Amino acid sequence: MSAPSQLRISGGTVYDPANGVDGEVRDVCIEGERIVAELPSNVPRLDARGMIVMPGGVDIHAHIAGSSVNQGRRLLPEQHATDPVPAPRLADGATARSGTAGTIPSTFTTGYRYAGLGYTTVMEAAVAPLAARHAHAELDDTPIIDAGCFVLLGNDEYLLRQLAAGELARARQYVAWLLGATRAYAIKVVNPGGIARWKSGGTERDVRGIDDPVGSSSVTPRKILEVLAGVANTLELPHPVHIHCNNLGQPGNVATTLQTMQALAGQRAHFTHLQFHSYGGERGKGWKSAARDVIEHVNAHPEISADVGQVMFGPATTLTADAPVEHLLYASTGRKWVNVDIELETGCGIVPYAYRQQAAVAALQWAVGLELFLLARDPWRVVLSTDHPNGGSFLSYPQLIRLLMDRTYRDEQLKRVNQKLLAGSALLDGLAREYTLSEIAIVTRAGPARLLGLKSKGHLGAGADADVTIYKDHPDRAQMFATPRHVIKGGTIVVEEGQLRRAPPGRRLAVRPEYDAAVTKDLKRFFQDYACVSFENYGAEPVS
Amino acid sequence: MSAAGRTVEHITCLGCGCACDDICVVVQHDRIGEARNACALGAAWFGDGSITQDVRVHGRTASLEQALDEAARILRAAQRPLVYLAVDLSCEAQREAVALADRLGAMLDGVSSGAAAGILAAQRRGRAGATLGEIRQRADVIVFWGTDPAERYPRFTSRYAVEPRGLQTPEGRSSRTVIAVDVGAKRGPRDAAARVAVAPGDEIDALGVMRATVQSRRATEDERFQSAVELARRMSAGRYVALVADGEPGAAPADGDVAEALVTLAQALNAPTRCALVVLRGGGNRSGAEAVLTWQTGFPFAVDFAPGYPSYRPRPGAIGLLAVGELDAALVIGSPASLPEPMATGLAPLVTVAIGPRVSAASFKPAVAVDTGVAGIHEGGTAFRMDDVPLPLRPVLTGPPTAAGTLRSLRERLGA
Repeated sequence: MSAPSQLRISGGTVYDPANGVDGEVRDVCIEGERIVAELPSNVPRLDARGMIVMPGGVDIHAHIAGSSVNQGRRLLPEQHATDPVPAPRLADGATARSGTAGTIPSTFTTGYRYAGLGYTTVMEAAVAPLAARHAHAELDDTPIIDAGCFVLLGNDEYLLRQLAAGELARARQYVAWLLGATRAYAIKVVNPGGIARWKSGGTERDVRGIDDPVGSSSVTPRKILEVLAGVANTLELPHPVHIHCNNLGQPGNVATTLQTMQALAGQRAHFTHLQFHSYGGERGKGWKSAARDVIEHVNAHPEISADVGQVMFGPATTLTADAPVEHLLYASTGRKWVNVDIELETGCGIVPYAYRQQAAVAALQWAVGLELFLLARDPWRVVLSTDHPNGGSFLSYPQLIRLLMDRTYRDEQLKRVNQKLLAGSALLDGLAREYTLSEIAIVTRAGPARLLGLKSKGHLGAGADADVTIYKDHPDRAQMFATPRHVIKGGTIVVEEGQLRRAPPGRRLAVRPEYDAAVTKDLKRFFQDYACVSFENYGAEPVS
Repeated sequence: MSAAGRTVEHITCLGCGCACDDICVVVQHDRIGEARNACALGAAWFGDGSITQDVRVHGRTASLEQALDEAARILRAAQRPLVYLAVDLSCEAQREAVALADRLGAMLDGVSSGAAAGILAAQRRGRAGATLGEIRQRADVIVFWGTDPAERYPRFTSRYAVEPRGLQTPEGRSSRTVIAVDVGAKRGPRDAAARVAVAPGDEIDALGVMRATVQSRRATEDERFQSAVELARRMSAGRYVALVADGEPGAAPADGDVAEALVTLAQALNAPTRCALVVLRGGGNRSGAEAVLTWQTGFPFAVDFAPGYPSYRPRPGAIGLLAVGELDAALVIGSPASLPEPMATGLAPLVTVAIGPRVSAASFKPAVAVDTGVAGIHEGGTAFRMDDVPLPLRPVLTGPPTAAGTLRSLRERLGA
């Protein structure tokens, strides 16, 4: 076996907030796949003088692989036709793959483009257990990035039955089993109870609040959330329960969001795409920003965290397990629409969309996201996302970073957007804050890694994965972050002088909690009675 | 042990798109003695598991190495190659095939092009759908639109749509109303509780009238459409409606407008009630091919890599390109028996490499033929049910080299 490769990234200005390094000129040493404290002086060097060195980016929430994402891809031939991507030319004649982009790129292109952006870890945020095998197959075709899956729970019949029967211990065992069976990394809850209602037909098509009954009077969104948050914490999962609250996108949903946070008071919990859940106003009567109320609650409660789910102007594809919301969007826009009810588990809704500066609601959503960012006191707990491709593509992150770092630019943009619903927005009060490079390093890598419990990601200390991004310093931060000069993934230089040169396979991030095998006996009975796949074929594990 | 045989459980059948995964295969003397739970169509698909294991180059028996070398030579020399995906392939083999097509700059198409009208309609409008198990759990009104699944999808009604008990259908069939729509000679199930007849020339108009009715718009007073109006009212009054149509050629509306009208009717029904359109699809992991192509290229079929990236050419598709003589070589992967007639005849004048089950006996006489096993019988991997639910495949017999492995070896020879 050959000695592990060694590399010294020398003379760069290093931002490694997890280790208290804030813009210091220092070397970063890599041996094999890891960062090491020191190397002999004669090892190969990568000259990073005048450049900015950060850990590889970590995306805590995106939709990049699996059944819903692929339904979305299939729906967008016109986007793919106008955005073809030839195969990159790799070093040493290695083969790369062509693809297409648009708001939902093909798998190989997804891997290349994330790496090209300096991101080396991405979480696929919504995987239906029934389709987990599909998600993993797509991730196998998504090179470079390390990826994990959040498995959808909270509308699944088996769990709701356990809650109705008061079988909380069994519910816990089931969740532990499911995480392993689907090779998942974390628990995701989408509109708890609401999708179950949508699927059951009849007049109640969604839940309106966290105390609405779902099927049984003893099952409510509150109960579902309490149990799943409790399970994640009891199992000591690296990432707490990842929550997409009820009433996404509805005016006045701030009340639900705050109630949800209060319901879980004192428990670790992550609230995703918070922007979509921070609206005041009232259904049918109009919208306004409630970002301040929401972020003040987050600021005051160190046990909770969030990603913002910023809306960026331009094309997007809304794609979520929250199927009733997508039906509303379809009904109000008349755009093309996909709905797939997923047996016994969850749903899927898709509507291609575009956020326009001139549209009042889109402008409000854009402003709300920025307010959350600018009023957040602890960047470690309020991190960057666009809920790709829902609020915009991950390729718009550099633009978002510029909005956060450059007040002049932000104020110019603010003037251009529809002002109709912005009354009361803190943005109009002239939020002066500008994110520092260190804060950007926190919200795009160190923070997400810490929230995900990824101890070897998001920092450059000895023992960390050698995932490193090197930017050429440039006053236009959008340009700087869009085109990293070098990207190193697991010790391999994948982007060299701004060109993608290598595309090694990424790794899968997964947990495998212990569970009491008794639960599988009961599950087999449930499968016998209701399921349309064999218990033995369920999940994402290889079969013998 | 050999006399009594061994049994292998939880086998997924790819005889049709139902992909029933409760098959128990009894193996005796290295042959399939029985496929328990399988329908007649499934039993025929499994057969006794025997399969040819020939490797031929220009008609003569050859080694696998020789065959792959010659295949690589042919494909390298081709100006305008076609990669064609037939059936009985795992997703793993399909992934290799797309990689090869990408490397070769080939036109990539397959049996899915026969279902083009429905696929394109869904790309224009979307779909209101559900996985099949959700039809079982919820549907209290099931409308079969010009199709009786009994022949082509024999266990569809017993496993998914009509008979089984579900969460909201505790009495199985008694909890549901089954309605047959007979579109000319395309008849719905014989045992439906109610029937509606639609003349083939009226199909689009009837669907339009139904959509208008669902949306509480008055579309027509014409007597001809009164039964359609009543059907639409009945569907609107259901709690969860399943609208079932066949998406495969011969049975599918070849007319994209009909396919689109079915999609938009199902979508509209989600205002007054819930509705899912079920498009029945054939076997051999067709849905897997569409899923794999979509995730690797962005398009579900008819992908042309000639420009150096995937471009979508559903029309003309491979059959159209063959007809105008644009293609000069082909790599045909999968069971050749599934090839549509114009494809089989169109391939005859081309120099062809065939890799798949029983390709040594293919009618188009491939220059290179490598027999492989059948995915799901001799090869493991993953396949997709017609509703895109992924299922594992468990090989029950050992057989010839796998399609996925053979394609990987070919890919390595081509430096892909």
